Amino acid sequence: MLAAASLRRVARIAHSRCPAFAPVAVGDTNATAGGGRRGYHENIIEHYENPRNVGSLDKNDDDVGTGLVGAPACGDVMKLQIKVDENGIIQDSKFKTFGCGSAIASSSVATEWVKGKHVDEVLAIKNTDIAAHLKLPPVKLHCSMLAEDAIRASVNDWKAKKEAKNAAA
Amino acid sequence: MSITNNRHAIAIFALHLTTTLSASSSFSLPCPSPPPPSSRVRRRRPTVIATPPTPSIRACSFLRSSSSSSSTVPPTSSLSDDDGNDDDPPPSSSSSSSSSSSSSSWWKDYKFNDPHLAHSVIGDFPILSTRFDADGKMTSSSSLVDDERDAGGGGGTGGGKADRRLIYLDSAATSHKPSVVTDALISYYETMNSNVHRGAHALSRESTEAYECARDKVASFVNARDRNEVIFTSGATEAINLVATSLSCREGGGREYRLIGEGDEILITEAEHHSNIVPWQMAASRTGATLRYVPASSVSDGFDVSALMGGLVNDRTKLVSIQHVSNVLGTINPIGDIVDYVRDNASPDVLILLDACQSVPHMKVDVRALGVDFVVASGHKMCGPTGIGFLWGREDVLNGMAPYKGGGEMIDEVYMDGSTYARSPARFEAGTPPIAQAIGLGAAIDYINGIGIDRIHEYEIELGDYLRRRLEDVEGVTVLGPRVGVERAALCSFVSDVVHPSDLGTFLDLEGVAIRSGHHCCQPLHRALGHSHSARASLYFYNTKEDVDDFVSALEGTLGFFRSLTSGTTVDGKDGNIVAETNDDDPFVPLF
Repeated sequence: MLAAASLRRVARIAHSRCPAFAPVAVGDTNATAGGGRRGYHENIIEHYENPRNVGSLDKNDDDVGTGLVGAPACGDVMKLQIKVDENGIIQDSKFKTFGCGSAIASSSVATEWVKGKHVDEVLAIKNTDIAAHLKLPPVKLHCSMLAEDAIRASVNDWKAKKEAKNAAA
Repeated sequence: MSITNNRHAIAIFALHLTTTLSASSSFSLPCPSPPPPSSRVRRRRPTVIATPPTPSIRACSFLRSSSSSSSTVPPTSSLSDDDGNDDDPPPSSSSSSSSSSSSSSWWKDYKFNDPHLAHSVIGDFPILSTRFDADGKMTSSSSLVDDERDAGGGGGTGGGKADRRLIYLDSAATSHKPSVVTDALISYYETMNSNVHRGAHALSRESTEAYECARDKVASFVNARDRNEVIFTSGATEAINLVATSLSCREGGGREYRLIGEGDEILITEAEHHSNIVPWQMAASRTGATLRYVPASSVSDGFDVSALMGGLVNDRTKLVSIQHVSNVLGTINPIGDIVDYVRDNASPDVLILLDACQSVPHMKVDVRALGVDFVVASGHKMCGPTGIGFLWGREDVLNGMAPYKGGGEMIDEVYMDGSTYARSPARFEAGTPPIAQAIGLGAAIDYINGIGIDRIHEYEIELGDYLRRRLEDVEGVTVLGPRVGVERAALCSFVSDVVHPSDLGTFLDLEGVAIRSGHHCCQPLHRALGHSHSARASLYFYNTKEDVDDFVSALEGTLGFFRSLTSGTTVDGKDGNIVAETNDDDPFVPLF
């Protein structure tokens, strides 16, 4: 369905960052020399510049749940994966996001927040929490909703896999 | 007493009959069967270009001469062509091209041929005085002078812009409305509100006059042969759905209608707006016809005209629907050549529909000169209210088509075992029409005619060229569509190598600049171009050189900001998206 060219364009390569790299100081986000221009809050900028947990887990692994959610209307697509141990605790999480700065930041935050929690506990994460943490502009609230959906989708996928495995056993 | 009542009833009926008949220029008759295809002559596009309206089209032709119901209100400022160039001799056409490649500040001294047009009309549009305070709240200021900025606003940071003016660059999505249009809407509701065509009282006569007068204005605006060729709809989308549904519905009653059937071909293009794609997909699905697409041009100028003329049209082609101007790329398509080719190579009874949404508001569209069978346009993109648009169609074609919606007004006689239908336009205007909106559209047409559609077009040619050239100079921005120097609509869609179009839109919004980001209802086109979405700045005759300059300044600032953020990242894509390192076996594929 997609031309090879567009696949190449989709894959944007993020080199591993030099540990000494410091995020741009954007305390009040008026970062331009002239001052007075507003933009994203520093939390969004931080996650945009230094997204946490970018990558993939093996989706064929029984312990991995994969949530792939999209909002074609705005074009954002998120893939969020969780690796869950036998007690239902999320040990690792990775994400890939195709979208704007708010979408990237929302999914980055989501992977941070789910680690170490039980799968049922993360279902309580609300998009409003993510939006509040990032201070998303009102027009970008749907990006945090997408992150909430991605978390749920990954948990549901893991649970479905577990049930299928138990049924087969 | 019974005789008096009967006479009274007869008098009322006669008055009603008179009113009804005068609302349509002929008796309502059952639809005659269209002649069989073999007797038709292949029509070619007429060689006569612009002819004055025939005597059958007069302003408010069927109405009495009183102008109380709707008056032509000229714009508040003097807009004769002689006024524009008094102070600034028009630069020669070579001046802009010679300096575009040299100094990066060529634009600072650039003078438009018609520099006063936009400034002279801004006062007619109350919404253009919108400003944003330091907190981003919208305020309406009666002051229209840009250098009256508050110094420091509400006591905030010194030296910065405490409030910003609205820079509206989204007119392709919808245009703003001058006061005369909003006044016309209010005037309708406050002084003449009444249902049309069916009443015998004074208010109904007033509203009917105004509504039908608006139809005359539209007919004249597009140089239709007859007022019966203009059908009011809720917009261009409904107009296209009207044609697609009418041509693809089976209607009982033994009447012969013009229909598309199994084995027929419908030809559209990959560059079309979704409203000119989806109705045809539905029609093809209903009828078993084959839907074919002219591919997008490999050089991103729109759809590939040479491919259209290279075998996509054959004698099974019954319907061709194409855009006049692309809402994404700004490409102006050679409709005359395409029409000639289609008439020569398609089925003899082929119908050609022109999506003129992005052309009618901006340039003269002469339906007779173009030689097409249908034209659709939306009122809200041409200074008219929302909820109104029109379908122009050749009268003989329309009268051979099945109705679209059923109900009151579109009928001739209704019996329990069936009904007969009125002729166009009533046949396609079931129910109470959008009366106020049509009157508002009439006022918008008067307003545009007061300025002059040709003057608007000339100004936008230069404005669009200026925008294109300014964007060419912005580092890291790729403009889609025709290259510099090729005539285009006054709109530019573009992508950046460091910023997602959605982030561009958000950041520019914080500067008071309104652009649109997304796929602009052209997903197939964006897929063909290899971009998930783009940002689009679209202008109208109320946009100034300063609007473009401020937009480019804000754009450069935003790009610089994002560039400073992503200095640790290699960007392989054009859309500013972070995907991932690609060392794994799971290449990320967007859902669409």
